[in-house]
Formats: sequence, structure tokens, C-alpha cells
Amino acid sequence: MAFVELVGLTKQFGSLAVVNKINLAIDKGNLVCLLGPSGCGKTTTLRLIAGFIEPSGGEIRVGGKRISAPGASAPPEARNMSMIFQSYALWPHMTVYENVAYGLRLRKLPKTEIRARVDEILAATKLSALGERYPSELSGGQQQRVSLARALVIKPETLLLDEPLSNLDANLREEMRFEIRRLHDEFRYTTVYVTHDQSEAMTTADLIVVMNQGIIEQSGTPEDIYQRPMSEFVARFIGGTNIFKGKKVGTDSVACAGGLVLRCASGDFADQGETAVSVRHHDILLFADKPASTDANWIAGTVTRQIYLGSHRDYLVSIPGGETVRTVAPITVAIPVGQQVWLNFPPEHCRALAH
Amino acid sequence: MTSTVQAPVFNRGIDFSKPVFILLAAVLAVLVILPLFWLMVYSFTDIDRNVTFDNFIKLVTDRAMRRSFGIAIGMAALVGILACVVATPMAWLVARTDLPYARFVRILVTASFVTPPFLGAIAWEILAAPNSGILNILYRWIFGLTDGEFLFDIYTFTGLVFAISCYTFPYVFTLVANALDRVPSDLEDASSILGAKWLTTLRRVTFPMVVPAMLAGALIAILQALTMFGSPAILALPAGFHVITTKIWSLFQYPPKLELAAAAAIPLLLLTIILLRGQKWILGRKGYTVLGGKSGAPRVTELGKFKWLAVAFVFGILCLTVIFPYLALIKTAFTETIDAPLTWESFTLKHFNFVFFEFSATRLAVFNTLLLGVLTATICTVIALVVSYLVSRKSVAGAGILGVLATAPVAIPGIVLGVGLFLSYANPTFMLYGTLWILLIAFLTIEMPAGYQQLSSAFQGVHPELEEASRILGATRLKALWQITAPMLRTSVVATWCFVFIGTIRELSATILLTTANTKLVSVIIYDLNESGDLGAISVLGLLLLVVSFIVVYIASKMPLGAGRLQPRG
Repeated sequence: MAFVELVGLTKQFGSLAVVNKINLAIDKGNLVCLLGPSGCGKTTTLRLIAGFIEPSGGEIRVGGKRISAPGASAPPEARNMSMIFQSYALWPHMTVYENVAYGLRLRKLPKTEIRARVDEILAATKLSALGERYPSELSGGQQQRVSLARALVIKPETLLLDEPLSNLDANLREEMRFEIRRLHDEFRYTTVYVTHDQSEAMTTADLIVVMNQGIIEQSGTPEDIYQRPMSEFVARFIGGTNIFKGKKVGTDSVACAGGLVLRCASGDFADQGETAVSVRHHDILLFADKPASTDANWIAGTVTRQIYLGSHRDYLVSIPGGETVRTVAPITVAIPVGQQVWLNFPPEHCRALAH
Repeated sequence: MTSTVQAPVFNRGIDFSKPVFILLAAVLAVLVILPLFWLMVYSFTDIDRNVTFDNFIKLVTDRAMRRSFGIAIGMAALVGILACVVATPMAWLVARTDLPYARFVRILVTASFVTPPFLGAIAWEILAAPNSGILNILYRWIFGLTDGEFLFDIYTFTGLVFAISCYTFPYVFTLVANALDRVPSDLEDASSILGAKWLTTLRRVTFPMVVPAMLAGALIAILQALTMFGSPAILALPAGFHVITTKIWSLFQYPPKLELAAAAAIPLLLLTIILLRGQKWILGRKGYTVLGGKSGAPRVTELGKFKWLAVAFVFGILCLTVIFPYLALIKTAFTETIDAPLTWESFTLKHFNFVFFEFSATRLAVFNTLLLGVLTATICTVIALVVSYLVSRKSVAGAGILGVLATAPVAIPGIVLGVGLFLSYANPTFMLYGTLWILLIAFLTIEMPAGYQQLSSAFQGVHPELEEASRILGATRLKALWQITAPMLRTSVVATWCFVFIGTIRELSATILLTTANTKLVSVIIYDLNESGDLGAISVLGLLLLVVSFIVVYIASKMPLGAGRLQPRG
């Protein structure tokens, strides 16, 4: 059952629609990632849900109750939500304990209960020893965990996260991804998570919503989004891919430049104009010797770059028609620059994209 | 952790931001627009308020008037040049070399900042008046010369430029020193690694980067010199020449020529606006200003054998601007006469006795000054606080207009505002002339830009997410302001209060046109006493003003910064 619903939600700044009539239903207890490049409207959508800004059109419902609509929005404090901010937004003049206890004190809980619940959440976030510290005395990762604890301790109905890991260094970021997922599995709040990092979204989300220029490009499980992108934008944005463009031939093939014909096992074809074909780097097979049959989904090219990456080799191969194909091969396949190679694009990994 | 606590229950309450916005907009509009309106009306009409250009024609055709404009502009330009020539090397020595006592130098420069320029001018009268000046007495004594011989004469155009420069060079110094503090050393390292010698790097990289700061500082120094009333009134009038400000003041003397005064104020207003535009343009050019560079420690040049030459230069300047004048004031306050020798016999407290117990005007003036200082500082801080909140958080549509109104008075020189306020409120409708109200209005208007700028930059330092975090956890807007924003702004609020207070107790340019016998202030009494030549009493009052100012500066600088500060994301 959908718990948080966005219906035709629109936000305009002047004549620019930053969020353009988006519809989205989030089930109770799910973690949804809004994913997209900067300026795609994901943060605005989150702030609309939080109630910091009012929509120009459409509405937001939580548990069936309308909380946001033009001219009739509940203030953020009346939504029983929690939020984790990009800057963490820890109050520098309060200790860790005071920061975490703040929301409970606003709710006028008895002192003993506040103490018990703060202690519990500090333990869950491995902060028990740091209660009397001030935020400036903590490391980045610790600040991040305080901000998590502060948001979780009030047991919100909805938890919002705004690029919570973008200020952490790479190692810590990876650790915190799993930490966030672990805490979500433990407490199961309905969660909306904004990020521009696709691997962050893949690790944490039940549902990924890819946004671009104020609209939802595609929403689905991480597997859906990766295996079955619906548009060139999604294919490019999630995971590396090669895009070939050409005209539809027959029922299931696309004729691209340089004589490359790609039969695609899935996807949509454009009846008029160009169809794009997406093939992931690691799905392309690379051969040093000429194969027996090279009619469909084969092409010859020249290696222009080869990099040893420890676990595999990364190749750039230029093919007739001017395209450059990026692919990976096992360590044992070592072909020097300038040599001719043959590339095979298995049809089951070729996905046609009508737009 | 299974149960969900209900969100706190709220009464939505009334949103106060709209009415507050309208009220503030009205107050600021009255403060800024009314005086300018009447200034315009008077300057373009005759005594019966018929439209005429006569005032401006008189202005242009009157030779004495033209001369006063010429002198003022020449004086201001020379002050700007002198300030650059002195302050730029000094700032470099302090910020970028191993100059000994650099911290102490910065403190003394702050001291010359805090010194009211008119007090500096009086101190230099004590030092360098042709007959009674201490330096000239020493000169005659050392060389055994007769009376009438003198080395310095402060009552000259040169003397005036010198005395004003002493108290305006800190503008250039502070801006250049700050810029030098922020020039990241990698920029200089990059030049060195490409093969530039030390001096080449200084000339081609370091110096060009602080040129905008220097020019901006110079424009402010020029602006200060141009609009200053006290120093020219003290030094130029005895020398028999006028600048714009003293000319405007003389038009207020009996029989008052209000229309002409209003007309004479207009060019000064325009010049100020042009200078400020110029300053903004210089500082606003992207890529030239060095902003928030990586905090690599600035490169320090070792002075080697030039070290003591540099110390001599810097302390020579500080002697002229701070040390000699202060010593002169202290000496004059504690001895019978200026030329009395420094012995135990000549030590006296009679000037203190006179000022505090015999001279009837003092107590009233001290009371008025403190009252106005406290009232102005408090009201100005409160208004500036609310305005900067509304502007920085854009909580009301059109809030930006408040910022514009609060900043606008920066372009209105004190004496011009004085004329405008006199025309606005010294009429049968308001009858505020001769009351403290008109002074309060004047001070509020003058100090509003500084107060607003301080607090709005403080608000910018408080990341909006800090407030939002409190809102989403269940606090109302007012509660978030009170529990989160207010504690973090406490330091800035106190600093702003102190800043405005000091600005108020030293104001003279607008005050001189608006004060009467019942509303005397300490600054005005000092000016009056100077006309009667009672330098001992002036020194006592001047020291009082300085001591109060320094105490307030000290309090402001010692404010605890609160426990632990979180650096918000850049």
C-alpha cells in the first residue's frame, strides 16, 4: 500500500519548472532513492516532501492525508518526518547528546524516557562514548552518525536523506552506505534518499527513481534500472555503457554506422528516426583472431588504448564509422595498441532504446 | 523501538512575518527617503517653495563655493594617495614578513581606527600649532630660537591632509592586510617554481592581487575625507579656507540659507554614490579578488638586515598617528598648560575637576551621549537583526527591498543627512529640532548600513539547514530561531551592538547641524571647547571618549565564541 504519494507534483521558480508533474507512490517501509545529475529536481522534490517549500501544482499525500498542495501545506514541524542534511546540520552549540535529545525534548517526553531512548540510539549508531562531545570535536563519519541518530531517535513516520554521504571520503562513504541500509532494515522507516551517486543508490535502495530535468525518467528496482533501462539517459547514467545509433531494420535489428548491425533481444525500437542501442562495457566480447562467422553483431576494429587494471584490462577499440567502443577483457587477453580485433555484441545484451 | 511518537501538536498561530515586513519597510523608508525627499524639494525651490534652479546657479557662480569644492576634492584625492603610499607597504610588512611586533602593530592600527578623526585633529593642534604646538616649542628650545619661529603649521592645507590621513589610512591598511592574509601561498609558489625571483613574484603576482583591495580602501579613505566635518572645521577654518562640509555648515549659521545648503549637499551626495559604485566595481571583478583560498600558510619574507629599517618605518607611522597624539592628549589633560614642563609641580587634576564638576554642560552631554549610544545601538541591532533574517531566509516575497533600504544610507554623508533631517523634522509639524529624537533618527539612519552588513554576513554564516533540521524535528519557526539561530548569532549581535555604539558616540558631521543647547553631546562639547581654546578640558573629554570606546572594543573582541563551532560546507 502506498504510504507517501506524489500526485502531479510541480514546482516552478519563475517560468522554470524544476519539478514537472511527477507521480510517485512509495510503499510503507520502503527505501526509495531519487537519483539524477545535479539540477534534475531531486533535492527540490525532497524539500517539497519535507515541507520547506510549497508546490506550485499537484499534491503530496502521506498515509492518505493531503499534506502539501498549492496554498495549503502543513509546516515541516507538523509532518512527523525526519531529515538528514548534506551538511549534517549539527548544532555547534549543543553536545552530541543534546543534539540527539532535541527532537524528544520538543515532544515533551519525560526525562527518563529521553535518556533511555537517546542512550539506545547512540548505542545503535556506535556513539555511546561521545555523548558529551561537541560536533566540532568529531570526525566526519562520527558527525554523520550523530545526524543519523538525531533523525532516527524520534521514530519518524518518514525519513528523508539529502545526499548524506557526499561530504565523506571514499572509504567511509562505502561503509556508511551499508550502515544506512542496516539501520533501515532494523527500523524500517519509509525513507526517501536523494543522491547523484549510482552505486550508493544500488546498494541502499528498494526502488530507484531516476530523474532528469524535472521529470522521472524511470523507476524500478536496482536490477530493473540496470538491466532494462528505458531510455538512453538512464542507460548512460547507471553504469557505463556504449551507445550505438542507427535505423531499425527487419523486426529486431538496428543498422548502425560502419556496417555494424545489432540484433537486440529486448527494448523498444523507434519506427521513425534513430534507435539507440545500449551495450554494457563488460558484455562485449573481444577476440584477437577472426571468428568463423561474422555476419550479425560482429565488427572488426583497432585497439587504440589498453589499460591494465589488476582485475581486468580496459580497452578502447575504434570501429569503422568513427565510433569508439569501450570494453573489458580478462587479464590474459593482452592485445597491443594498433592491432586489429573482433568484437562480438551478444543479442541478449543489446538493448534497443527508442528515446 | 516500535511505537511511533505522535508529532507535537501545533496551533498554526498567526504568521507574523508579513506585518513585521510591512512595518520595517515603512520605518526604513521613512528613515531613508524622507530626508532625501526634503533635500530635493529645498534644493529645487525658493523660500516660498516655487520651483527654481537659482540655488544651483548660485552654487556654480559663487567663487568661494567653487573654491571649497575644489579644495575638498583636492584634499580628498591627496588623502587617498597618501593612505595608499603609507598603508600598502605597512600592510605587506605586517602580513607577509617576519617584522617583529606585527600583532602589536595591528592593535595600534585598530587604535587609530577607533580614534575619532576630530580628536586626532585636536591632538595635532596641540602638537603642531605654529606657536603653542609642543613640537614647535621643542624645536625652538633645541635650537634656541625666538617666539614666532616654527617648524610645523597644522593650520594649512598640507596639515589638514596630513591630519585626516592619519585616521583614514587604516581603511587601506585593513583591506590590504586582509587580502594579503588570504592570497594563498601556492600562487606565489607557482611563480617561484617557474623561475621568478623574490622581487619579481612580489611585483608580478602578490602586488597585482591586492591592488583591488588597495584601491577599494583608497576610495573609502577619499570618501571619508570628502564627507568629514570635524577635522576641516578644526584645522581649515582657522587657516581661513573652507571645504564642502564646512561650507554647508556655514550656510546654517544665522541667517540660515537652507535652500542653498540643500543644493550644496546634492553634489556631495552624487560624489559619494559614484565613489561607492567605483569601490563595488573594483571589488566585484571576479578572479581578481582573492577569496577563501586554501589555508596554506601565507609565505613569509625574511627581512634580514632591513628588519630594523622596517620597524623604524612602521613605528614612525604609528608615532604620528597614535602614539604622539595620545601622549599629547594625556599630557595636556594632566598639566596646567600645553607648554608646562613635565614635572611633578605642573601635574594637576584641575581639568578633570573642571570638566566633571564645574563645567555645567558636561554631565548633560555625557548623559545624552550614553543614552543615545545605548538606544541607537539597541534599536539598530534589533532592526538589523530582523531585516537580515527576513532577507537571508527570503521568508517574505520582496524581502530584498528591506536590504536595499537598510544599505542605502551608506551613500548619504553625515552632513547631507543632517541637512535632510533638519529640513524634514525641524518644522511646525514635527518640531523635533532641539530634541534628542532628531539625533536618534539621525544616528539610526547613519548606523543602519553597518549594523545590517555585520548581521547579514553573520546570518550567511549560519547554514539554513541548521534551522531546517530543527523544523523537521518538530520546532516552529519561532522556536527554531530562538533555540538554534539566536545562540549562534549571540557573538555577532554583541559585536554589532558595540560597533554601532562606538560609531554613535563619536558622530559629529550630522550632529553639528541638529544639536542645540539642550541636546549637547560629548563630541559637540569637544568641538565647542576647541573654539574657545580650552585644550585641557578637551583632552579630558577626548580621553573619556577613547577609554569608553576601547572598553567596548575590548568587550566585543573578548566575546566567547561559544563551545565548538561547526564549519558549514563551503
